[in-house]
Amino acid sequence: MRGFRDRTAIAGVGYTGFSKDSGVSTLTLAARAILAALDDAGLTVDDVDALATHRVGDSTPPWVVAPALGVPEVRWYLDQFGGGSVSHSVIAQAAMAVASGVAETVVCYRAINARSEFRMGGTGRAPAPVFDMQYQAPYGYFAPPQQFAMFARAHMNAYGTTHEQLGRIAVTQRANAVKNARALKRDPITLDDYLASRWIAEPLRLLDCCLETDGACAVVVTSRERARDLRHTPVLVSGAAWGGGDSFFSGAGSGPSGTDFTVTEAARIAPRLYAMAGVGPEDIDVAELYDCFTYSVLVQLEDYGFCAKGEGGPFVESGATALDGALPVNTHGGFLSEGYVHGINHVAEAVSQLRGTAGDRQVPGAEVALSTAQPGYVLAGTSALVLRSDR
Amino acid sequence: MSIKPEEDRDSAPWWEAVRRHELTVQRCEGCGTPRFPARAVCNRCRSLEYTWVPARGTGRVYSWIVNHQVFARPMAELVPFPVLLVRLDDGDDLLMYGNLVDGDAAELREGLPVEAVFADDDEGATVVQWRPRR
Repeated sequence: MRGFRDRTAIAGVGYTGFSKDSGVSTLTLAARAILAALDDAGLTVDDVDALATHRVGDSTPPWVVAPALGVPEVRWYLDQFGGGSVSHSVIAQAAMAVASGVAETVVCYRAINARSEFRMGGTGRAPAPVFDMQYQAPYGYFAPPQQFAMFARAHMNAYGTTHEQLGRIAVTQRANAVKNARALKRDPITLDDYLASRWIAEPLRLLDCCLETDGACAVVVTSRERARDLRHTPVLVSGAAWGGGDSFFSGAGSGPSGTDFTVTEAARIAPRLYAMAGVGPEDIDVAELYDCFTYSVLVQLEDYGFCAKGEGGPFVESGATALDGALPVNTHGGFLSEGYVHGINHVAEAVSQLRGTAGDRQVPGAEVALSTAQPGYVLAGTSALVLRSDR
Repeated sequence: MSIKPEEDRDSAPWWEAVRRHELTVQRCEGCGTPRFPARAVCNRCRSLEYTWVPARGTGRVYSWIVNHQVFARPMAELVPFPVLLVRLDDGDDLLMYGNLVDGDAAELREGLPVEAVFADDDEGATVVQWRPRR
């Protein structure tokens, strides 16, 4: 079960600024983030031999970015179709490419103008005509906040999960963002602010939703040996898992969860994720959990084994996920408050925590981190990484 | 809602039946399992053979939302409106979406019995909606 445990490392992270209107192309965003990540690692474009990204028709692919940057020779690339559920699989596959020897230094990036050009859910453009949308779009149901509202309601029905519990996630993450200079939203909010925010799709409010963001983020994946010679403490890719199999897009479940919307594909990949890394949920010092909406955090706390099924609400209410709690979650503020670059900024934050360079929001002594993708409600699967400091 | 259904080659017979105001599901010829949405293969016995059979046309609300945000222009005059996710009485794994007709969002609860009704628009499209069973 070791797979490629600890054989590769993240050696660099880079960001553009986050905004509501970048005014530049996704190629520009990608180039800025990649150059920043290489600089962070102490590398240059001449050291790069592979590129990896994911997109849903909303970004610039590796076969445009590589020649634009003047990468000397591309030995491997990945142009993965998909949104949030595949974000961590991009880095996992890059690590596999390095572990297998087909590539040595991969830049993984995600570059989107998710507010000014390509809004998820089709505001300003037609929804994507993908398979089961035909059974939903005619009813005015096609935007992610609607889908996650439907899942959240099912969880409320089954376990008595409350609005206040969802709100606690938004409030806690905003408190973290106050300590993050990169965050788009840095004004503290209270539970009353949350409860007063307008409905988007009941049971979700505006403050349940992530920030549509223009921006890019990149990470450099290389071998553990090479990473040890570079600028920062390597952050090892200890565990990686992706897949699952079911989609709740239309209720075509075939796996153990059937069509129970309160169990995600995270529950299916978690055992082999932890097995590859040789850790369990009790070993995770900090968790950056995909938070397109507050509810996705709550359900993943259950499905990655931090609490029992149905206990996600009481768990967040206990304060366990706060910066000073037993399991700090989304220490950068997450997509709800830092910005939404589809998952890779969760990985970058985990790297900062494991290097011990997260400043005011540093989790003391953090050595093992979990970072996760959209838990598989849409597109039959999810992906996640366990990262470990190589101190 | 003026967002038209975009059927595919597997689902075309289902949409044809809907236009006739008939609710159908697939039935696997190999193991008899009813199935929806339309798929070319059975995920239990892997048979590629199937027929379309009438569904009972009744189900129970599993989850729902009340949409407020105008995600597309045609919604502007409709918000707020509910969207239901209904488990058909024909099988627990058969789920269909739809709007609520002849009912009030305030009465929605898990398990609320509903029945399918068919809504035609002026341009020849028909969709399935759900009405509380009294």
